[in-house]
Amino acid sequence: MIMRIPSKFSLTILLASVLLLSGCGDRGDGLGEAHDIGPEIEEHYATFKHIPPEWNERLASGEWSQEEFDEQVEHLPNFFRFASIEDLPSDLEWEDGMDLPEFGSPDAIKGGTSYGALQDFPRTLRHVGPDSNGSFRPMLLDDVTLGIAERHPNETDIGPKGFHHYPGLGKEWAIDLDSQTVYVRLNPEARWSDGEPVTADDFMFMFFFFHSPYIQAPWYNNQYAENFTGITRFDEHTIAIHVARAKPDLATRALGLRPISKHFFDELGPDFVQRYQWRFQPTTGPYVVREEDIRRGRSIALTRLEDWWAKDLKFWRYRFNYDRIQFNVIRDTSNMYESFRRGDLDKSGLVNLPEYWYDRLPDDHDLVRNGYIQKVQFYNEIPRPTYGLWINQAQPLLNNRDIRIGLHYATNFERVIAEYFRGDYERMRTTSDGYGDFSHPTLTARPFDVDKALEYFAKAGFERRGSDGILVNESGRRLSFTVTTGYRHFEDLLVILREEAARAGVDFRLDILDGTSGWKKIQEKNHEIAFTAFGTFPEMYPRYWETFHGVNAYDDPYLPDGSPNPDREVMVQTNNLVSMANPELDRMIDRYRRSDDVEEMRELAFAMEELIHEEGPFIPGWVQPFYRMAHWRWIRYPHDFNVKISSGAGQYFLDWLDPDIKAEVEQARREGRALEPGRVIYDQFRGD
Amino acid sequence: MPLRLTKILLLCLALAGLFCMARVNFNLGSGLLLSAAALALYILPWKLDPLTERKLKRFRDIKRGYYSFIFLVALAILSLFAELFANGRALVVKYDGDYFFPTYSSTQLGHTFGLTGRDANSPVNYRNLREHFREQDNGNWVIMPIIPYSPNENITYDGILRPQPPSWEHQHYLGTDSTSRDILSRLIYGFRIAIYFSLAFMLMVYLIGIAVGCLMGYFGGWFDLLVQRMIEIWSLVPFIYIVIIIFSVVPTGFSVGTRIGILLLIMVLFSWTGMTYYMRTATYKEKARDYTAAAQVIGASTARIIFHHILPNAVSTLVTFMPFTLAAAVTSITALDFLGFGLPPPTPSIGEILKQGTARLDGAPWIVTSAFFALVFILTLVTFVGEAVREAFDPRKFTLYR
Repeated sequence: MIMRIPSKFSLTILLASVLLLSGCGDRGDGLGEAHDIGPEIEEHYATFKHIPPEWNERLASGEWSQEEFDEQVEHLPNFFRFASIEDLPSDLEWEDGMDLPEFGSPDAIKGGTSYGALQDFPRTLRHVGPDSNGSFRPMLLDDVTLGIAERHPNETDIGPKGFHHYPGLGKEWAIDLDSQTVYVRLNPEARWSDGEPVTADDFMFMFFFFHSPYIQAPWYNNQYAENFTGITRFDEHTIAIHVARAKPDLATRALGLRPISKHFFDELGPDFVQRYQWRFQPTTGPYVVREEDIRRGRSIALTRLEDWWAKDLKFWRYRFNYDRIQFNVIRDTSNMYESFRRGDLDKSGLVNLPEYWYDRLPDDHDLVRNGYIQKVQFYNEIPRPTYGLWINQAQPLLNNRDIRIGLHYATNFERVIAEYFRGDYERMRTTSDGYGDFSHPTLTARPFDVDKALEYFAKAGFERRGSDGILVNESGRRLSFTVTTGYRHFEDLLVILREEAARAGVDFRLDILDGTSGWKKIQEKNHEIAFTAFGTFPEMYPRYWETFHGVNAYDDPYLPDGSPNPDREVMVQTNNLVSMANPELDRMIDRYRRSDDVEEMRELAFAMEELIHEEGPFIPGWVQPFYRMAHWRWIRYPHDFNVKISSGAGQYFLDWLDPDIKAEVEQARREGRALEPGRVIYDQFRGD
Repeated sequence: MPLRLTKILLLCLALAGLFCMARVNFNLGSGLLLSAAALALYILPWKLDPLTERKLKRFRDIKRGYYSFIFLVALAILSLFAELFANGRALVVKYDGDYFFPTYSSTQLGHTFGLTGRDANSPVNYRNLREHFREQDNGNWVIMPIIPYSPNENITYDGILRPQPPSWEHQHYLGTDSTSRDILSRLIYGFRIAIYFSLAFMLMVYLIGIAVGCLMGYFGGWFDLLVQRMIEIWSLVPFIYIVIIIFSVVPTGFSVGTRIGILLLIMVLFSWTGMTYYMRTATYKEKARDYTAAAQVIGASTARIIFHHILPNAVSTLVTFMPFTLAAAVTSITALDFLGFGLPPPTPSIGEILKQGTARLDGAPWIVTSAFFALVFILTLVTFVGEAVREAFDPRKFTLYR
């Protein structure tokens, strides 16, 4: 009896749970039919037009009626234009950048496997769309694929037509500043990794792809629709890119375009995100990710194409030397370091942190002294990542300027730099340090100053200290904010900031998450204060629209009279982490985006920096004028180590593996014999 | 005679609890719990039945366990006054003829002690103040605790934040951690949090476990089956993942105290099930005995039968589990901290020091050794107590029929 009942009973439970489970459906076992994108491409090619943003404004403000607007649009040329080769202007000044100096070393040896580590497995292999902008993307796109032409990394001065470029997919190009057009003759040798030739159609398709809502990437949608007025196809290998604004870096914008393989994305559709989640898209570069090398959550590898089309071309031939680059996921930094020390990893960027550089791998460490591991400090010249505190002004209290300015004075980055970074770094001054003439010449960050902080907090009503020393206002609200970050390796630094802020009566609660969830939380604008940085790349002038424009803060930021709209909703998934919505700043950003005059843009940039400084949404942290890394002796670099605008030693793939040296090091280690230590500091590009 | 000692201890515990309550920034709940429990035990007429008295005597005779118990209780009580031993605030300040006792007072600003300039409006740094008064040499002085560092203070003496080896000169007896915080100070506060967290955890787990187990055993039948199945399902939920998941959605805006409370609740929620089965079996056993039947025949209420007749007889087996539950709780909170899912930073905790230590095995071995020995020490004490209790309460030596 006792036996019978429970068995019956558990059977019922079992049945119930089976029913419950079956209710969950069969999601995940494949996607539906592939979407046929063909008709949509044709439709888009036939109808899409670039509409100047100010026209939309005129329509919105009522200056133009819908009819007027439609009529104007009617007269606009199509975005996608088809012409014959005879239509190509004959008076163009073609250039091919072949006279620029080559970089990389002719001594480089091809072959071998390089071992690296990842802290997080990539969330996707897509280049765009949700979760694609992760730390692995440079290995799939940014650092390994080819644009039409690339900015020369050592010749960085600004010439009459902008930066200097060396050829990539383009064989030659002509820049016509008057018509804001860049004409390109593609290299007919250029091939996708699946063997298909790279043609003008891939560039046409690239625009279609980035205009498409299916990719779920509003930034790209906007970027490719607003910054370009069209593309003309003359023949299979000749195109012209029409740029919307005659900006000083017009040529770089057009030449930096990277085509999208049309034949690969013929299944583009509403299920793009899932369908292409783990498919490696054909690349113009030397490295592919093979299906069998994707071990999700554990490792991923790049494999060099034996017959890469550009392997003998100038500027490309001495780079991308490894046959295979293996990345294993090692989540814990200490384990990563131990792996490097054991020689399981060839290189380590961890020594970029002073703790590793001075204490854990000091110059008199056996491995360094004996020359087995070489430490390198390389001074580069690039815009600096914006490490600092980003204050979300959409949050209560933080919308008060006095509180924000108080926080500036209560944040002791000076101590962090002096005692944690051992004085190696410098205090960041503005949101755009390292842009040369475009960086504000005189502004500096507010120093740590308890009295000033208290003064500002008092203005905001926080005058009394509670029993724990934290300021309290009349209604009993403590002056306490959450600082969110995805940088676990900077936890200690935040703890210092927290203790120091307590001296000025502010309580920072630390919310330290892993990289992915931290960034997600910040992108969802769920933070009060974010400690993070935007990666920068060597651009001519800084960007403000992404991080400070009102349209990236709220869906409908202002009422018609320019005052804040009380019903506005915070925009998520944008880079305006500070929820900045200031009509005056917006106007300047708009002008800045339209301007084609270096001088005017510079003045605007300074004025904007001043306004941002005044409003105080960003507390500048530090800049590091160099990078440091350590590598085993068998990894070799060119004699001058790296290029001027490199942000990391691996970015330009100039290094190679020397098997003879590897054998030598291994033998020397067995015998306990010392080798000649390497050179440490490369300061040929050091500024003042 | 020994009873008196126990009573004195209890009284101390009650006072300590009250004292904690009086201070807002210590965990109010656990203070209240502690003092209520201790007071109740103190006030209630302690008429121990001879059998229990014999068990206690046996426990006292097992010297290793008994002294471990005394030592552990003493440590726990002392840790409540940790501010007097390890603190960046002074014990006594004499300034211009007045005496100040900053340990438990609210934060003092520099101008209270005549500091000027940058220090005037900052909270006082008493170590600097001590030097300052020494230099001035006009009768003012500061007495600092033995460990003159708060657990969260980053103190450099060579201008760089990094692990410093143990040093008597600088009063870092166990050295500092990777951002120059005093390890001993952090261990003391970490111990305090861990031990009271575990006590609270144990009390709550037993409360729920005993109640549910008793009900299952007493009512039996369908109720028993249903709850058994529920417990089976419930105990299959992977606890550590739940902690990680729940903690990732808990708003970080909550204060550290609240977050610790939530962690406690989650842990209790997934740990009470283990106790129910023992209790259920014990209750089944007792229920079948004659005295229970007699009580039923007399017409005693269900509550009276459970609490008065069955519980005292059934509960004795559980007592032997208590120290081990405590040890398990200390271990799991340390493990969670080690993994980074426990107490929010910068709360001092043994697990967090252990994590730092394993990251700095080269170059700063004193971090990991400190944490390791502290943990082993606590767990050994608890285990000694546990073994002694188990031996003393061994039912093979005593049986009880009422």
